[in-house]
Amino acid sequence: MATVFLNKKLEVVYASDLWVKEFEFTNGKVIGENISDLIQTISKDLKNDLKDCLKGNFGIGVKECLNEKDGPKKWTEWTNVPWYDEKENIIGVIVQTENINQKINNEPNSERLQLLLKEKSSNANIGSWQFDAELNTLWWCDMTKNLHEVPADFIPDLDTGIEFYKDGYSRNTISMLVYRAMNEGIPYKEKLQIVTAKGNEKWIIATGKPIYKNDKYIGLVGTFQDINEQELINRKTNENELLLRTLIDSLPLNVFVKDLDSRKILVNKSELNFLGLKHESEALGKTDFDFLNKKNALIGREEDIKVMENGIPMLKKETTNIKKDGTKTSFLTSKIPLKGANGKITGLVGISLDISDLKNKEEELRNLINVTSLQNKKLVNFAHIVSHNLRSHTANFSMLLEFLVSEKDEEEKQNLINMLVEASDHLLETLNNLNEVVVINTNVNLKKQNISLTKNIKSVEKNLSEFLKNNNAKVINTIEADVKIKAIPAYLDNILMNFFTNAIMYKSPERDPVIKLSSTRENGYTILSITDNGLGIDLKKYGDKLFGMYKTFHNNADAKGIGLFLTKNQVEAMNGKITTSSVVGKGTTFNIHFNEDN
Amino acid sequence: MKTINSIFIVDDDPITVFGIRKMLDRTVEFNTISTYGNGKLALDGIIKVLKNEKAIPEVIFLDINMPIMDGWQFLEEFIVLPIEGKVRINIVTSSIDPADYEKWEHYNDKSHHLITFNTKPIKGSQIAAITKHAE
Repeated sequence: MATVFLNKKLEVVYASDLWVKEFEFTNGKVIGENISDLIQTISKDLKNDLKDCLKGNFGIGVKECLNEKDGPKKWTEWTNVPWYDEKENIIGVIVQTENINQKINNEPNSERLQLLLKEKSSNANIGSWQFDAELNTLWWCDMTKNLHEVPADFIPDLDTGIEFYKDGYSRNTISMLVYRAMNEGIPYKEKLQIVTAKGNEKWIIATGKPIYKNDKYIGLVGTFQDINEQELINRKTNENELLLRTLIDSLPLNVFVKDLDSRKILVNKSELNFLGLKHESEALGKTDFDFLNKKNALIGREEDIKVMENGIPMLKKETTNIKKDGTKTSFLTSKIPLKGANGKITGLVGISLDISDLKNKEEELRNLINVTSLQNKKLVNFAHIVSHNLRSHTANFSMLLEFLVSEKDEEEKQNLINMLVEASDHLLETLNNLNEVVVINTNVNLKKQNISLTKNIKSVEKNLSEFLKNNNAKVINTIEADVKIKAIPAYLDNILMNFFTNAIMYKSPERDPVIKLSSTRENGYTILSITDNGLGIDLKKYGDKLFGMYKTFHNNADAKGIGLFLTKNQVEAMNGKITTSSVVGKGTTFNIHFNEDN
Repeated sequence: MKTINSIFIVDDDPITVFGIRKMLDRTVEFNTISTYGNGKLALDGIIKVLKNEKAIPEVIFLDINMPIMDGWQFLEEFIVLPIEGKVRINIVTSSIDPADYEKWEHYNDKSHHLITFNTKPIKGSQIAAITKHAE
């Protein structure tokens, strides 16, 4: 039989000797040549038919007249069948030609088809079959029988053929398709399941097409291809993909895969939720720059590059991702290089664990520790005060009494008694001061109120007006009228009073005192800044004692070293703090931080 | 008992100063006593003495808690002064805070002077023992 195999470009891949002989190509090159170059008189219809074949349509019994130059007309009949590879892809056309000039036989030549199909089946697991409508017989090639796992002498008929299809969808479908091919002339190609004679289930591709002789339907011809292995592999792959997808989507982790340009090529549900998206397609092809703030995205990109260039995974790095809308999320992120089949890095796999809750807890804990350590510090401080200030008075008592016991001189005795009284007064005063501190630190009944800063400053200024006037003091207040703070009114009064009087008491002898007041907001605090142009203080030397009890730093007879100490206690009792800056000879600024929380 | 030439009392509490003086009057032979209300004044006094090449004090009674310059700050500056002889410095404090005790140890190790730590009140029976030349 004259057979030629053409590839998708319709170039000859293989030609049988008979074919070469029949078309008289004996002296020329055939393999690799295009069919239309070889047969220059090829008709448009035949060419279209061949092209059709590449789309999966059979062309059986196409008559072609080969017009040899000046020679006699030569008729051939072409049977064109798609050439499939094992993955069902059409890779070309298998052509069978027959010289019908010499044909006198009118009978449908089933032999040639059988031969053709036998040849085909050697390529892949493709069997063929033919149904003769007139004789109502079904013919299976050896491969088809093989695929059905029936003995070589098995004789099928149309009914048994159909019964091999798996009960249900497959059998219903094939019944309908065969019926339509017979009655409506519609060819078919369908992926279906059969149950072999040995009871094995198999995926196959069944094709069928009616054939005609002189426009009269004479039967069906078709192929039968075993795709069980690929199908099972496909199904297994699909199953694995589904399993993987279910797994990564159910994980309480953000999972993403990025390509070399840090474009996302896979994201799981958690990551989608984090990005605020519904469908994976909205994230694919995009980078961190599309979702995170620029600084954040830049850091991420640098990490990606490092991982992909060095091939060393980045493991459990704590990161804070800030999205474009400003929301912060803390992650524990790992980035692992992704290698292709050739060992080259093609991207990375990222896994992020949202640790925001954990971080918040940590923050709470840290705050708690801060509060505790602050309390502890206060306690130690208090112990120090007791040790120094209370003991010094009692030591004096003890010493003076020792003198008194042995003193003979009356005048000296009176002198000692006077000193005892003095020591007693000092002790009383110290106790009063300490009591005040205890009250400040334990009075939980005093509630903070939302009060106007300016209003309170005005009232303190008024109370001190005489004092300020006598000292030629000037107050410059640049605080907006509507600034409000959360404070205990009595404490605020005392604090303001203290800083005002301090500014005057420690004024520079070279100039009139000027007190500047301003306010800012920062990190949950409203900060009141009080700047004077007074003596200033060397904070390097005295910074840690500035707010200590009974600490004085200037030769000022009125200084008792209690004002700033109490002020600090009051500010801290309202969860605030005081920072100081000072230049000796220029002045001092106290920044009083009022906590905006209750 | 050797006569002590010069004694310094550095304390801001007049009662303590009075007490120490009284006890010294009773039990120790000395030529002069100078008193200073804080560390700064005492340090200035010593520097002046050094400048005039006069006799530096042999014994100093030093309080810790004082304004302007406290006892520790005084020690910090005093121990680096170019004084060849060994001065006896008696810290006299009401503090029973272990932190103060540690500071004393620190300065005692650092200095070639003799530094002692005494808790108020000083008893008359103690005063002679701690008002001697440092050997």
